[in-house]
Amino acid sequence: MHKYEERVLEVLRNNKELSLGELISGSSIGRDKVLWALENLSKRGAVNVRKTRKREIEITEEGKRYAETLLPEEKLLKSLEKGEINVAELKGREEQIGFLWAKKKELAFISGGTLKMTKRGLAVAAEGDQDRMMLNDIAIHGKSRKESMNERIPILQSRHLVEVKEREEIERIRISGEGLAEIEKGAGEEKVGQLNKSIIAGGNWKGIEFRKYDVNIKVEKADAALKHPLTNLSDDIKRAYVGLGFKEISGPIVEPSFWVFDSLFMPQDHPAREMQDTFYLAKPSMLKVKESEIQKRIGKAHKRGWKGDWNMEASEQAMLRTHVTSVSSRQIQSIVGSMMKGKSDFNLPLKFFSMGRVFRNESIDYKHLADFYQTDGIIIGKGLTLANLFDTLIKIYGSIGMKVSFKPSYFPFVEPGVEIRVFSEKTGGWIEIGGAGIIRREITGISRKKISVLAWGVTVERFLLLRENNISSISELYGSRIGWLRSRKMV
Amino acid sequence: MPTITLDIKYFRELLGFSIDDKMLEEQIAKLGFEVEGIGKDEIKIEITPNRPDLFDAVGMSRAIRNFMHRTKSFRYKIANDKPAIVISVGDKIKRIRPFVAGMVVKGLKLDEKSLANLIKFMDKFCDTFGRDRRKIAIGMHDLSKINGPLEYDAYTDEEFIPLNGNSAEMFSEIMKTNEKGIKYGDTIPPGKKRLYPALKDTEGILALIPIINSDRTKVSVGTRSLLIDITGSSEYYVDKTADMLASLFIDMKGSVEKVEIVYKGEGTLSPKMESKQMQIPISMLENEIGVRIGSNNVISLANKMGYEAALLGNKILFNVPEYRFDVINEQDIVEDVAIAYGYDYIQQIAIPNYDAGALEEKSILISKIKDLMIGYGFSEAMNTYFTNEDTNFVKMRLQEPSNASIKLKNSRMQSITMMRTWIIPSLLGNLGRSASEKMPQRIFEIDLTFMIEDEKIHEDIHLAAVSVDPKANFNDIKAVCEGLLSTLEIKYNLTEAEKKSFIQGRVADAESESVTIGFFGEVHPEVLNNFGIEEPTIGFEINLSLLYGWKASSKAIRE
Repeated sequence: MHKYEERVLEVLRNNKELSLGELISGSSIGRDKVLWALENLSKRGAVNVRKTRKREIEITEEGKRYAETLLPEEKLLKSLEKGEINVAELKGREEQIGFLWAKKKELAFISGGTLKMTKRGLAVAAEGDQDRMMLNDIAIHGKSRKESMNERIPILQSRHLVEVKEREEIERIRISGEGLAEIEKGAGEEKVGQLNKSIIAGGNWKGIEFRKYDVNIKVEKADAALKHPLTNLSDDIKRAYVGLGFKEISGPIVEPSFWVFDSLFMPQDHPAREMQDTFYLAKPSMLKVKESEIQKRIGKAHKRGWKGDWNMEASEQAMLRTHVTSVSSRQIQSIVGSMMKGKSDFNLPLKFFSMGRVFRNESIDYKHLADFYQTDGIIIGKGLTLANLFDTLIKIYGSIGMKVSFKPSYFPFVEPGVEIRVFSEKTGGWIEIGGAGIIRREITGISRKKISVLAWGVTVERFLLLRENNISSISELYGSRIGWLRSRKMV
Repeated sequence: MPTITLDIKYFRELLGFSIDDKMLEEQIAKLGFEVEGIGKDEIKIEITPNRPDLFDAVGMSRAIRNFMHRTKSFRYKIANDKPAIVISVGDKIKRIRPFVAGMVVKGLKLDEKSLANLIKFMDKFCDTFGRDRRKIAIGMHDLSKINGPLEYDAYTDEEFIPLNGNSAEMFSEIMKTNEKGIKYGDTIPPGKKRLYPALKDTEGILALIPIINSDRTKVSVGTRSLLIDITGSSEYYVDKTADMLASLFIDMKGSVEKVEIVYKGEGTLSPKMESKQMQIPISMLENEIGVRIGSNNVISLANKMGYEAALLGNKILFNVPEYRFDVINEQDIVEDVAIAYGYDYIQQIAIPNYDAGALEEKSILISKIKDLMIGYGFSEAMNTYFTNEDTNFVKMRLQEPSNASIKLKNSRMQSITMMRTWIIPSLLGNLGRSASEKMPQRIFEIDLTFMIEDEKIHEDIHLAAVSVDPKANFNDIKAVCEGLLSTLEIKYNLTEAEKKSFIQGRVADAESESVTIGFFGEVHPEVLNNFGIEEPTIGFEINLSLLYGWKASSKAIRE
């Protein structure tokens, strides 16, 4: 027996069945020699080789482009979400392709010259088109692994998004009885494969030789159950806060607008309060502010500061918080309130942080989410300065590996106002991650000699894009596809 | 944040000294704004919305000149108090658009660049700071075409030739057909006998306010004198806008004269040119910023930001410029001094730590339960809190209970209409999107759900888990659920339950201290079809808020 044949049989004996690739990497003698050996071995029946005609699906350049962005019909749906479209306005090549397929797939229909979305179109707009997911799979794995989808291949083919090629290929190789006999004869004495109880017990292993495993053989890697990357990240940030003496606080998601806007001195005609940016609720539509004293004091501050009317009703509209600063605001008012009532045994400075989801009424795409995480911090104390604020922020975000810098900015509730930026190694530039400052006296209602409050808020998801290399889109974070979860790296 | 686009040549002309692009960009950044691009013709700058006085080339160049110590006088004064023209205000306008201010500007030489800058500025200002002309609108007329005195009131339908129009049109027509009429129409209250705010001279309509001016008084290149009217809903902001515009025209080398506004026989002069003065102790400035500056330096920093300042004992007297809207209390001045000092030069100072930090108890427990679920081989998923009736109820074979879910009023996405009431539908969505991945698939999520009960909002934290596997069955999920509850030392009983989302006879409720805290079972095949899941799926959901009393709630998990 030739040494290459022996090598091939050796590898095959240790494994029930192998693909050609596995056999080549397992035998480490190179593809040509393995093929030569297999030919000889199969001629004399020492191995069984199963061949298949294989379809190979290749993605085209156009397909790749769509896989990375959106299919034309999906782009059309995105536009349709903003309103109906006059069919006559669809002029570009891609727009027309989108139109054709949206109709074919029953994602949209024409009524009186305008294009409207079907129920199915709505679902696809929200969840993404199956064809594109398949294109994605093909782009990554060279094929679609979801068998039930294969019926879509001819369609993708007809759209020139994929090409299908057929060829004969060795699929699996298995050693035969003859092959086993051949190698046993060559090897002589029997070696032990799987260790078991009877070999271990009573020293029966003595004198037995164990068969070698090939350390380079390819195995399928085990999947770990993992925490979500956002949990890992927020745990890191929480640890940094706690290390600097911050206590965690939390608060409601559904709030009267008082706690999100008015209590933070955002004027009632501020553009951020408008319908297009904020989720207001149909049910419940109004929520009472229980803390009526605070509400009255803040109302007066608005009239004085913004030189106009202040409407109590408008401060009780039910909404989803647009920042966790509402939690900070509640905390500030509760502490300042008890100070005003004479409580003085606070161990200043008091430090609090919160972490939670916030909501913006956005059209969702790979860059924008309607809900995302924000973390807020406040420090309540005497004589606190911008220099203190900068120190705290550099320490917290430095501890998760971020280089931090500051720039003047404006938010209605702080003065001085600060934009917090971190350095992105990816782009080589500074990226805005949040705002900070010293809370306005109109909000605390207490003189600076007694108290000042440092505050900041930072969006969390952006850090993840900065520190994990294989996350490209924010919307992936909440898709929680199993394959995506399984491919996370620990950072 | 608003972005302004300026004609770079005009901007440089106004600066009056030469400065290269890089240096200019640096100075603007030091002021706290960001240059988004400098080209051959234009410069784009992102500005914070509290500084509308910088929305144009004149204001921005003034700020740069101040910042680079190129300004000698910081005061803007109108020498002559004699009014150039009278505007009488009628009674009917008081309920619609009550406030008006104005001025006359003479001795201008409007060329293409300066006129374009003015028009662009006024549009930007009125759309943003003026809240789409509701709060503030500005009108600009060629003074030489006007025959005073003027009258500002609300009128019934009349006709005039609007700006760039060919023929006379009725107000009502303009509201319906003119681009500006459509855009700003809702600033004028509707009604059967609709009244329209307008400005008139002895020859007729000057402007339908705040919609469009007359063609007769159109300002064009070469116009040398202007009438400016400012109207709106807020007296303070209308007056302040007049002050800001007067400063702007003075910087354009125009000669500004006042107008008299007469209401019920009583006259007031406009612009008021009010400047505020504030005294701030040096120690307060230093203590708020956290640096030692010194009184001389403070005055110089104040000048950089356009304040005239003087030492007064241990205080600094600041004169707030007439064109500033945003200086409400001394903190606003502190910020300006800090900006002039430079945020980059402020050294970090640590805050002493007296107290230990701590996580909320609930966070600690949630983290431990997550570890447990990882131990059982479930990966953590995260999903949006938003859902729709179809996913939350219909696909789960459920009928929506009335008045129990939180509904959105104004979502931009048709797929987002309510807050989820439970987590399992979110997780089934994840599995449906993962059908091509390796089995078994096990995921869990611990996060919020939302319900209304007894007129109260319940934001409860649930733990839910699902597992899909060709061999999955009821006993597998029972094993995980019971394992989990006993590891958490929860005493519980199981009772057979009836839930339409699950196969009948393969679903159970878990009770603790006679409260139903959760359930588990084998998901109904129709539900699996609805989510595109092809293999048997099991799951459980537990209300942790209820279990641990994280808030007062008498609510048990509903299916």
